[in-house]
Amino acid sequence: MTVPFAAKRLGKELQKISNSLPPGVELVSAENFEEWLLDIKVLDNNPIYQNQTYRLKFRFGPSYPIEPPEVVFVQLPDRPIPMHPHVYSNGIICLDLLGQQGWSPVQNVESVCMSLQSMLTGNSKDERPPGDEDFVRANRQRPKDIQFYYHDNNV
Amino acid sequence: MAKPTQLKEEGNRRFQAGDYVMAEALYSQALISDPHNPTLYTNRAMARLRLSQWDSAVADGTACLQLAPDSMKAHYSLSQAHLALRAHDDALRHALRAHALCVAGGAAEHKSLGPITTHVLRCKRERWEEVERRRVRELGGLEGEVLGLLERGREEAVREAEREGLEEGGVGLGEEGRREVEEEWRGKVEAMKAVFEKARPEGERRREVPDWAVDDISFCVMVDPVITKTGKSYERASIVEHLRRQPSDPLTREPLYPSELRPNLDLKQACEEFLEQNGWAADW
Repeated sequence: MTVPFAAKRLGKELQKISNSLPPGVELVSAENFEEWLLDIKVLDNNPIYQNQTYRLKFRFGPSYPIEPPEVVFVQLPDRPIPMHPHVYSNGIICLDLLGQQGWSPVQNVESVCMSLQSMLTGNSKDERPPGDEDFVRANRQRPKDIQFYYHDNNV
Repeated sequence: MAKPTQLKEEGNRRFQAGDYVMAEALYSQALISDPHNPTLYTNRAMARLRLSQWDSAVADGTACLQLAPDSMKAHYSLSQAHLALRAHDDALRHALRAHALCVAGGAAEHKSLGPITTHVLRCKRERWEEVERRRVRELGGLEGEVLGLLERGREEAVREAEREGLEEGGVGLGEEGRREVEEEWRGKVEAMKAVFEKARPEGERRREVPDWAVDDISFCVMVDPVITKTGKSYERASIVEHLRRQPSDPLTREPLYPSELRPNLDLKQACEEFLEQNGWAADW
Protein backbone atom coordinates (compact mmCIF):
# COMPACT_ATOMS: atom_id res chain seq x y z
CA MET A 1 0.00 0.00 0.00
CA THR A 2 1.24 3.45 -0.89
CA VAL A 3 -0.29 6.73 0.20
CA PRO A 4 -0.13 9.62 -2.28
CA PHE A 5 1.11 12.10 0.32
CA ALA A 6 3.97 10.15 1.97
CA ALA A 7 6.85 12.03 0.32
CA LYS A 8 5.12 15.37 0.62
CA ARG A 9 4.45 14.95 4.28
CA LEU A 10 8.07 13.93 4.95
CA GLY A 11 9.20 16.96 2.95
CA LYS A 12 7.17 19.22 5.18
CA GLU A 13 8.35 17.51 8.35
CA LEU A 14 11.92 17.95 7.19
CA GLN A 15 11.35 21.61 6.41
CA LYS A 16 9.95 22.11 9.88
CA ILE A 17 12.61 20.22 11.82
CA SER A 18 15.42 21.80 9.80
CA ASN A 19 14.26 25.13 11.18
CA SER A 20 13.53 24.20 14.75
CA LEU A 21 13.66 21.18 17.01
CA PRO A 22 12.91 20.84 20.71
CA PRO A 23 15.88 20.98 23.09
CA GLY A 24 17.94 17.80 23.19
CA VAL A 25 16.90 16.67 19.70
CA GLU A 26 19.16 17.18 16.69
CA LEU A 27 18.88 16.25 13.05
CA VAL A 28 21.99 14.40 11.88
CA SER A 29 21.09 13.52 8.31
CA ALA A 30 18.04 13.27 6.06
CA GLU A 31 19.29 12.68 2.53
CA ASN A 32 16.14 11.00 1.29
CA PHE A 33 12.65 10.06 2.35
CA GLU A 34 13.63 6.55 3.39
CA GLU A 35 16.06 6.96 6.25
CA TRP A 36 16.79 9.78 8.69
CA LEU A 37 19.22 9.96 11.57
CA LEU A 38 18.65 12.02 14.69
CA ASP A 39 20.48 12.45 17.98
CA ILE A 40 18.67 12.74 21.29
CA LYS A 41 19.83 13.66 24.77
CA VAL A 42 18.10 13.35 28.11
CA LEU A 43 17.94 16.82 29.57
CA ASP A 44 17.30 16.30 33.27
CA ASN A 45 19.69 14.87 35.84
CA ASN A 46 18.77 11.23 35.47
CA PRO A 47 22.14 9.62 36.39
CA ILE A 48 21.66 6.71 33.94
CA TYR A 49 21.78 9.01 30.91
CA GLN A 50 23.99 11.90 32.02
CA ASN A 51 26.34 13.36 29.42
CA GLN A 52 25.28 10.84 26.80
CA THR A 53 23.97 11.29 23.29
CA TYR A 54 21.99 8.58 21.52
CA ARG A 55 21.63 8.04 17.79
CA LEU A 56 18.20 7.17 16.38
CA LYS A 57 17.55 5.73 12.94
CA PHE A 58 14.12 6.30 11.36
CA ARG A 59 13.09 4.25 8.35
CA PHE A 60 9.94 5.25 6.46
CA GLY A 61 7.86 3.00 4.24
CA PRO A 62 5.76 4.16 1.28
CA SER A 63 2.68 4.31 3.47
CA TYR A 64 4.05 6.57 6.17
CA PRO A 65 2.36 8.15 8.18
CA ILE A 66 -0.50 5.68 7.92
CA GLU A 67 2.00 3.01 8.91
CA PRO A 68 4.54 3.73 11.68
CA PRO A 69 8.19 4.40 10.86
CA GLU A 70 10.75 1.86 12.04
CA VAL A 71 12.78 3.47 14.81
CA VAL A 72 15.87 1.94 16.44
CA PHE A 73 18.87 3.13 18.41
CA VAL A 74 22.16 2.77 16.54
CA GLN A 75 25.47 1.98 18.24
CA LEU A 76 28.58 4.01 17.34
CA PRO A 77 31.85 4.60 19.22
CA ASP A 78 30.43 7.75 20.80
CA ARG A 79 26.77 6.73 20.67
CA PRO A 80 25.86 3.91 23.07
CA ILE A 81 22.52 2.11 23.29
CA PRO A 82 20.70 3.57 26.31
CA MET A 83 19.98 1.27 29.24
CA HIS A 84 16.24 0.81 29.62
CA PRO A 85 13.92 -2.14 30.38
CA HIS A 86 12.28 -1.57 26.97
CA VAL A 87 15.42 -1.12 24.89
CA TYR A 88 17.28 -4.25 23.77
CA SER A 89 21.04 -4.11 23.51
CA ASN A 90 20.84 -4.27 19.68
CA GLY A 91 18.92 -0.98 19.68
CA ILE A 92 15.42 -2.37 19.15
CA ILE A 93 12.85 -0.37 21.07
CA CYS A 94 9.73 -1.84 22.58
CA LEU A 95 7.39 1.15 22.71
CA ASP A 96 3.64 0.98 22.25
CA LEU A 97 3.69 4.16 20.16
CA LEU A 98 5.90 2.55 17.51
CA GLY A 99 3.87 -0.65 17.22
CA GLN A 100 1.10 -1.41 14.76
CA GLN A 101 -1.53 -0.88 17.45
CA GLY A 102 -0.15 2.13 19.25
CA TRP A 103 0.85 4.19 16.23
CA SER A 104 -1.29 7.09 15.09
CA PRO A 105 -0.78 9.08 11.88
CA VAL A 106 -0.85 12.35 13.82
CA GLN A 107 2.46 11.32 15.37
CA ASN A 108 5.59 12.55 13.61
CA VAL A 109 9.37 12.35 13.80
CA GLU A 110 9.56 15.17 16.31
CA SER A 111 6.87 13.72 18.59
CA VAL A 112 8.50 10.27 18.47
CA CYS A 113 11.83 11.77 19.53
CA MET A 114 10.15 13.56 22.39
CA SER A 115 8.33 10.40 23.49
CA LEU A 116 11.63 8.53 23.54
CA GLN A 117 13.26 11.33 25.52
CA SER A 118 10.52 11.16 28.10
CA MET A 119 10.62 7.36 28.14
CA LEU A 120 14.28 7.60 29.17
CA THR A 121 13.77 10.52 31.53
CA GLY A 122 11.12 8.69 33.50
CA ASN A 123 13.15 5.51 33.89
CA SER A 124 15.01 4.60 37.06
CA LYS A 125 16.05 1.01 36.24
CA ASP A 126 19.56 0.65 34.87
CA GLU A 127 18.79 -2.62 33.11
CA ARG A 128 17.88 -4.38 29.84
CA PRO A 129 14.58 -6.09 29.09
CA PRO A 130 14.21 -9.61 30.48
CA GLY A 131 15.63 -12.15 28.02
CA ASP A 132 17.74 -9.54 26.24
CA GLU A 133 20.61 -11.89 25.40
CA ASP A 134 18.37 -14.54 23.88
CA PHE A 135 16.36 -11.97 21.99
CA VAL A 136 19.40 -10.26 20.52
CA ARG A 137 20.94 -13.58 19.50
CA ALA A 138 17.80 -15.07 18.00
CA ASN A 139 15.97 -12.15 16.46
CA ARG A 140 15.95 -11.97 12.66
CA GLN A 141 12.69 -10.05 12.38
CA ARG A 142 12.23 -6.43 11.49
CA PRO A 143 11.23 -4.43 14.56
CA LYS A 144 7.73 -3.76 13.24
CA ASP A 145 7.01 -7.45 12.81
CA ILE A 146 7.94 -8.35 16.38
CA GLN A 147 4.99 -8.97 18.64
CA PHE A 148 6.13 -7.27 21.81
CA TYR A 149 4.46 -8.14 25.02
CA TYR A 150 3.81 -4.79 26.63
CA HIS A 151 4.28 -6.28 30.04
CA ASP A 152 4.80 -3.08 31.93
CA ASN A 153 3.60 0.13 30.34
CA ASN A 154 4.48 2.11 33.44
CA VAL A 155 8.20 1.88 32.88
CA MET B 1 -14.58 -8.69 -36.74
CA ALA B 2 -13.88 -9.02 -33.02
CA LYS B 3 -16.56 -8.18 -30.49
CA PRO B 4 -16.45 -4.80 -28.72
CA THR B 5 -15.92 -6.48 -25.32
CA GLN B 6 -12.93 -8.38 -26.65
CA LEU B 7 -11.51 -5.23 -28.18
CA LYS B 8 -12.00 -3.42 -24.89
CA GLU B 9 -10.31 -6.14 -22.88
CA GLU B 10 -7.38 -6.24 -25.28
CA GLY B 11 -7.25 -2.44 -25.03
CA ASN B 12 -7.13 -2.65 -21.24
CA ARG B 13 -4.28 -5.15 -21.47
CA ARG B 14 -2.36 -2.85 -23.81
CA PHE B 15 -3.05 0.08 -21.48
CA GLN B 16 -1.70 -1.85 -18.48
CA ALA B 17 1.38 -2.73 -20.50
CA GLY B 18 1.94 0.96 -21.29
CA ASP B 19 1.11 0.69 -25.00
CA TYR B 20 -1.27 3.64 -25.09
CA VAL B 21 -1.23 4.03 -28.88
CA MET B 22 -2.51 0.49 -29.40
CA ALA B 23 -4.95 0.78 -26.48
CA GLU B 24 -6.41 3.96 -27.99
CA ALA B 25 -6.82 2.28 -31.38
CA LEU B 26 -8.55 -0.76 -29.85
CA TYR B 27 -11.01 1.39 -27.87
CA SER B 28 -11.73 3.33 -31.07
CA GLN B 29 -12.50 0.10 -32.91
CA ALA B 30 -14.76 -1.05 -30.10
CA LEU B 31 -16.61 2.28 -30.22
CA ILE B 32 -17.49 1.78 -33.89
CA SER B 33 -19.81 -1.09 -33.07
CA ASP B 34 -20.68 0.02 -29.52
CA PRO B 35 -20.90 3.83 -29.65
CA HIS B 36 -23.10 4.19 -26.55
CA ASN B 37 -20.78 2.54 -24.04
CA PRO B 38 -19.60 5.22 -21.55
CA THR B 39 -16.72 3.06 -20.23
CA LEU B 40 -15.17 2.89 -23.68
CA TYR B 41 -15.05 6.69 -23.76
CA THR B 42 -13.44 7.05 -20.32
CA ASN B 43 -10.93 4.32 -21.12
CA ARG B 44 -10.01 5.99 -24.39
CA ALA B 45 -9.84 9.35 -22.59
CA MET B 46 -7.31 7.89 -20.17
CA ALA B 47 -5.22 6.50 -23.02
CA ARG B 48 -5.37 9.87 -24.76
CA LEU B 49 -4.30 11.64 -21.58
CA ARG B 50 -1.22 9.45 -21.48
CA LEU B 51 -0.56 10.36 -25.12
CA SER B 52 -0.95 14.09 -24.33
CA GLN B 53 -3.88 14.33 -26.76
CA TRP B 54 -5.72 16.80 -24.58
CA ASP B 55 -8.41 17.98 -26.99
CA SER B 56 -9.37 14.41 -27.91
CA ALA B 57 -9.46 13.48 -24.22
CA VAL B 58 -11.86 16.38 -23.62
CA ALA B 59 -14.05 15.13 -26.46
CA ASP B 60 -14.17 11.62 -24.96
CA GLY B 61 -14.92 12.89 -21.46
CA THR B 62 -17.72 15.07 -22.82
CA ALA B 63 -19.14 12.18 -24.86
CA CYS B 64 -19.14 9.97 -21.78
CA LEU B 65 -20.94 12.59 -19.68
CA GLN B 66 -23.71 12.74 -22.27
CA LEU B 67 -24.28 9.02 -21.72
CA ALA B 68 -23.46 8.91 -18.01
CA PRO B 69 -23.57 12.37 -16.36
CA ASP B 70 -22.29 11.02 -13.03
CA SER B 71 -19.19 9.24 -14.27
CA MET B 72 -16.41 10.00 -11.83
CA LYS B 73 -13.76 8.88 -14.29
CA ALA B 74 -15.13 11.15 -17.01
CA HIS B 75 -15.00 14.18 -14.72
CA TYR B 76 -11.51 13.22 -13.56
CA SER B 77 -10.24 12.80 -17.15
CA LEU B 78 -11.85 16.06 -18.21
CA SER B 79 -10.24 17.84 -15.29
CA GLN B 80 -6.79 16.49 -16.13
CA ALA B 81 -7.16 17.44 -19.80
CA HIS B 82 -8.44 20.93 -19.01
CA LEU B 83 -5.60 21.45 -16.57
CA ALA B 84 -3.07 20.56 -19.27
CA LEU B 85 -4.85 22.98 -21.63
CA ARG B 86 -4.66 25.65 -18.91
CA ALA B 87 -8.45 25.96 -18.73
CA HIS B 88 -8.21 26.30 -14.98
CA ASP B 89 -11.83 27.02 -14.11
CA ASP B 90 -13.05 23.99 -16.05
CA ALA B 91 -10.30 21.86 -14.55
CA LEU B 92 -11.29 22.79 -11.00
CA ARG B 93 -15.02 22.41 -11.68
CA HIS B 94 -14.60 18.85 -12.97
CA ALA B 95 -12.10 17.99 -10.22
CA LEU B 96 -14.57 19.02 -7.52
CA ARG B 97 -17.36 17.09 -9.23
CA ALA B 98 -15.13 13.99 -9.43
CA HIS B 99 -14.30 14.40 -5.74
CA ALA B 100 -17.99 14.66 -4.77
CA LEU B 101 -18.83 11.55 -6.81
CA CYS B 102 -15.91 9.75 -5.25
CA VAL B 103 -17.16 10.53 -1.72
CA ALA B 104 -20.72 9.53 -2.61
CA GLY B 105 -19.63 6.35 -4.43
CA GLY B 106 -18.83 2.86 -3.28
CA ALA B 107 -15.60 1.06 -2.49
CA ALA B 108 -14.35 1.21 -6.10
CA GLU B 109 -14.66 4.99 -6.17
CA HIS B 110 -13.15 5.38 -2.69
CA LYS B 111 -9.87 4.02 -3.94
CA SER B 112 -9.49 7.17 -6.03
CA LEU B 113 -10.10 9.53 -3.11
CA GLY B 114 -6.41 10.09 -2.41
CA PRO B 115 -5.29 10.87 -5.98
CA ILE B 116 -8.36 13.02 -6.65
CA THR B 117 -7.84 15.05 -3.48
CA THR B 118 -4.24 15.66 -4.53
CA HIS B 119 -5.46 16.59 -8.00
CA VAL B 120 -8.00 19.12 -6.60
CA LEU B 121 -5.16 20.85 -4.75
CA ARG B 122 -3.10 20.93 -7.93
CA CYS B 123 -5.97 22.51 -9.87
CA LYS B 124 -6.38 25.14 -7.18
CA ARG B 125 -2.72 25.92 -7.14
CA GLU B 126 -2.33 26.19 -10.91
CA ARG B 127 -5.44 28.34 -11.18
CA TRP B 128 -4.15 30.65 -8.50
CA GLU B 129 -0.72 30.85 -10.14
CA GLU B 130 -2.30 31.85 -13.43
CA VAL B 131 -4.30 34.65 -11.77
CA GLU B 132 -1.24 35.68 -9.82
CA ARG B 133 0.97 35.83 -12.91
CA ARG B 134 -1.58 38.01 -14.63
CA ARG B 135 -1.91 40.28 -11.61
CA VAL B 136 1.84 40.68 -11.21
CA ARG B 137 2.20 41.36 -14.92
CA GLU B 138 -0.55 43.96 -14.93
CA LEU B 139 0.59 45.64 -11.76
CA GLY B 140 4.18 45.54 -12.96
CA GLY B 141 3.07 47.11 -16.26
CA LEU B 142 1.19 49.85 -14.46
CA GLU B 143 4.10 50.48 -12.13
CA GLY B 144 6.46 50.82 -15.09
CA GLU B 145 4.10 53.20 -16.89
CA VAL B 146 3.56 55.46 -13.90
CA LEU B 147 7.26 55.59 -13.12
CA GLY B 148 7.95 56.34 -16.81
CA LEU B 149 5.52 59.26 -16.71
CA LEU B 150 7.17 60.63 -13.60
CA GLU B 151 10.55 60.28 -15.27
CA ARG B 152 9.37 62.28 -18.26
CA GLY B 153 7.89 64.90 -15.92
CA ARG B 154 11.22 65.20 -14.18
CA GLU B 155 13.12 65.71 -17.44
CA GLU B 156 10.69 68.38 -18.52
CA ALA B 157 10.88 70.18 -15.18
CA VAL B 158 14.67 70.13 -15.34
CA ARG B 159 14.64 71.61 -18.83
CA GLU B 160 12.20 74.26 -17.63
CA ALA B 161 14.44 75.19 -14.73
CA GLU B 162 17.47 75.39 -17.02
CA ARG B 163 15.61 77.71 -19.39
CA GLU B 164 14.52 79.98 -16.52
CA GLY B 165 18.08 80.05 -15.25
CA LEU B 166 19.35 81.13 -18.65
CA GLU B 167 16.72 83.86 -18.97
CA GLU B 168 17.73 85.31 -15.62
CA GLY B 169 21.29 85.21 -16.86
CA GLY B 170 22.97 83.82 -13.75
CA VAL B 171 24.57 80.43 -14.42
CA GLY B 172 24.95 79.61 -10.67
CA LEU B 173 21.29 80.22 -10.00
CA GLY B 174 20.31 77.93 -12.90
CA GLU B 175 22.45 75.11 -11.51
CA GLU B 176 20.91 75.46 -8.05
CA GLY B 177 17.38 75.61 -9.41
CA ARG B 178 18.03 72.47 -11.41
CA ARG B 179 19.22 70.59 -8.35
CA GLU B 180 16.18 71.70 -6.39
CA VAL B 181 13.83 70.48 -9.10
CA GLU B 182 15.66 67.19 -9.35
CA GLU B 183 15.39 66.67 -5.58
CA GLU B 184 11.69 67.33 -5.70
CA TRP B 185 11.08 64.81 -8.49
CA ARG B 186 13.25 62.17 -6.95
CA GLY B 187 11.02 62.44 -3.88
CA LYS B 188 7.94 61.97 -6.04
CA VAL B 189 9.37 58.81 -7.66
CA GLU B 190 10.32 57.37 -4.27
CA ALA B 191 6.84 58.08 -2.89
CA MET B 192 5.24 56.37 -5.88
CA LYS B 193 7.47 53.31 -5.52
CA ALA B 194 6.50 53.08 -1.85
CA VAL B 195 2.82 53.15 -2.79
CA PHE B 196 3.30 50.21 -5.16
CA GLU B 197 5.28 48.36 -2.53
CA LYS B 198 2.40 48.72 -0.07
CA ALA B 199 -0.08 47.52 -2.66
CA ARG B 200 1.67 44.17 -2.99
CA PRO B 201 -0.43 41.56 -1.23
CA GLU B 202 0.62 40.05 2.09
CA GLY B 203 1.25 36.74 0.38
CA GLU B 204 4.21 38.01 -1.59
CA ARG B 205 5.96 39.01 1.57
CA ARG B 206 5.10 36.39 4.15
CA ARG B 207 3.99 32.85 3.41
CA GLU B 208 2.54 30.97 6.33
CA VAL B 209 -0.25 28.43 6.49
CA PRO B 210 -2.42 28.67 9.60
CA ASP B 211 -2.59 25.42 11.59
CA TRP B 212 -6.36 25.24 11.38
CA ALA B 213 -6.18 24.81 7.61
CA VAL B 214 -3.67 21.95 7.73
CA ASP B 215 -4.58 18.26 7.94
CA ASP B 216 -2.49 16.65 10.70
CA ILE B 217 -2.05 13.45 8.71
CA SER B 218 -1.03 14.60 5.22
CA PHE B 219 0.18 18.08 6.33
CA CYS B 220 -1.71 19.55 3.33
CA VAL B 221 -4.34 22.28 3.30
CA MET B 222 -7.72 20.57 3.61
CA VAL B 223 -10.03 20.22 0.62
CA ASP B 224 -12.80 18.23 2.26
CA PRO B 225 -12.39 18.36 6.05
CA VAL B 226 -14.39 15.87 8.09
CA ILE B 227 -14.83 16.03 11.85
CA THR B 228 -14.58 13.16 14.35
CA LYS B 229 -16.47 12.59 17.59
CA THR B 230 -13.67 14.26 19.49
CA GLY B 231 -14.11 17.48 17.50
CA LYS B 232 -10.89 17.26 15.52
CA SER B 233 -11.00 17.65 11.74
CA TYR B 234 -8.95 15.82 9.11
CA GLU B 235 -8.79 15.64 5.33
CA ARG B 236 -11.30 12.99 4.30
CA ALA B 237 -8.82 11.09 2.11
CA SER B 238 -6.25 10.89 4.94
CA ILE B 239 -8.51 9.82 7.77
CA VAL B 240 -10.28 7.27 5.58
CA GLU B 241 -6.90 5.79 4.68
CA HIS B 242 -6.04 5.55 8.37
CA LEU B 243 -9.42 4.05 9.31
CA ARG B 244 -9.05 1.44 6.60
CA ARG B 245 -6.00 0.19 8.48
CA GLN B 246 -7.23 0.79 11.99
CA PRO B 247 -10.74 1.91 12.96
CA SER B 248 -9.70 4.19 15.82
CA ASP B 249 -9.56 7.90 16.50
CA PRO B 250 -5.98 9.10 15.84
CA LEU B 251 -5.96 11.21 18.99
CA THR B 252 -7.90 9.20 21.56
CA ARG B 253 -7.61 5.67 20.05
CA GLU B 254 -11.32 5.18 20.69
CA PRO B 255 -13.18 3.14 18.08
CA LEU B 256 -14.05 5.25 15.05
CA TYR B 257 -15.72 4.18 11.81
CA PRO B 258 -15.88 6.01 8.48
CA SER B 259 -19.67 6.23 8.82
CA GLU B 260 -19.19 8.38 11.93
CA LEU B 261 -17.27 11.10 10.10
CA ARG B 262 -19.19 14.28 9.37
CA PRO B 263 -18.27 16.99 6.88
CA ASN B 264 -17.05 20.18 8.51
CA LEU B 265 -18.64 22.68 6.16
CA ASP B 266 -17.54 25.90 7.86
CA LEU B 267 -13.92 24.77 7.98
CA LYS B 268 -14.19 23.68 4.36
CA GLN B 269 -15.31 27.15 3.38
CA ALA B 270 -12.59 28.77 5.47
CA CYS B 271 -9.96 26.59 3.77
CA GLU B 272 -11.41 27.47 0.36
CA GLU B 273 -11.24 31.16 1.15
CA PHE B 274 -7.72 30.84 2.44
CA LEU B 275 -6.67 29.10 -0.77
CA GLU B 276 -8.38 31.76 -2.90
CA GLN B 277 -6.04 34.30 -1.33
CA ASN B 278 -3.02 32.02 -0.93
CA GLY B 279 -3.10 29.59 -3.81
CA TRP B 280 0.61 28.89 -3.39
CA ALA B 281 -0.32 26.95 -0.26
CA ALA B 282 -2.46 24.48 -2.20
CA ASP B 283 0.43 22.33 -3.26
CA TRP B 284 3.21 23.44 -0.98
